[in-house]
Amino acid sequence: MHEVSLAESIAASLIDLKKEQGWGRIVEVRLRIGALRQVFPEILCFAFETLTKGTELEGAGLAIDDVPISFRCRDCGACWAGDDSLCPECGSMHRETVAGNELEIESVEVEEQI
Amino acid sequence: MSRIVTLQQSIMAEDERFAAAIRESNERRGLLMVNMIGSPGCGKTTLLERTAQSSGLSFGVIEGDLATNRDAERLDRLGVPVVQVNTHGGCHLEANVIEKAMESLPLDSLDVLFVENVGNLVCPAEFDLGEDFKAALLSTPEGADKPLKYPYLFSSSKVVLLTKIDLLPYLPFDMKMFSEDVKKLNPEAPVISVNGMTGEGVQEWTDLLREKIREKKTHAR
Repeated sequence: MHEVSLAESIAASLIDLKKEQGWGRIVEVRLRIGALRQVFPEILCFAFETLTKGTELEGAGLAIDDVPISFRCRDCGACWAGDDSLCPECGSMHRETVAGNELEIESVEVEEQI
Repeated sequence: MSRIVTLQQSIMAEDERFAAAIRESNERRGLLMVNMIGSPGCGKTTLLERTAQSSGLSFGVIEGDLATNRDAERLDRLGVPVVQVNTHGGCHLEANVIEKAMESLPLDSLDVLFVENVGNLVCPAEFDLGEDFKAALLSTPEGADKPLKYPYLFSSSKVVLLTKIDLLPYLPFDMKMFSEDVKKLNPEAPVISVNGMTGEGVQEWTDLLREKIREKKTHAR
């Protein structure tokens, strides 16, 4: 995944929100990243830290929650975790991905503006 | 004092807005859009050239490359409406760039719009361009082990094209492993074997396109 692009998007959204909501310092940003999304957490954190240096976001930490892959069978409705391609209940190959594609900002920890 | 604010918003929200606008405008036109993704040199442009020569389909192409107009010139010679986008080092295309490039194409007279993404199996797969589906290309010399090494592309594409199949007699390409791995990642995606140089297998590809174009036009608003 393109970690620098992600870090830029996160920083841009936070700067907008901070202004709009009148937040003080942002302490921590919690992300949900799906296992399918090929994100390298260390690179993302490094990119975010580097990009925000000298900005109003400097010092904000990134906490990353990994979301494991899970599928749901479109034929029988069974759900399963892991990367098995066929439904463990009925053997169908008609599956949809219910988790693992997440690229979300879950929450932010902010200080009140003084 | 600090507090937690729940946001639950997409990191790529900005990009997704552009992609949604493209999807919406293609929906209105009944224009199918396909995002072609594969390594440098896997035969993306050659397959498009062959598609232009043999299919009779009316299509346009947005060519993504780091540098040069070479791919656009190849398609232009065949009379294909084409826009070259140079990313100057960028490893993928993003929806805002596509929206701009689309302005220079005669969209109303096209059946399909292909985006030939920057040659790369990783980043291009991650960015939604507003396409109907992604086509993953792999050429036989790259090796049969690649789908599992680049799982996101192969699991998120609607079709997998195996190119340069004329080289199979000279390569230790494990077709069984390749097919099984693709099936594991993406059970419903058809695998189409092609040789863009001779046109072998290209009919199956253009038949699939025709079917998707029909579906798209039927659902046009």
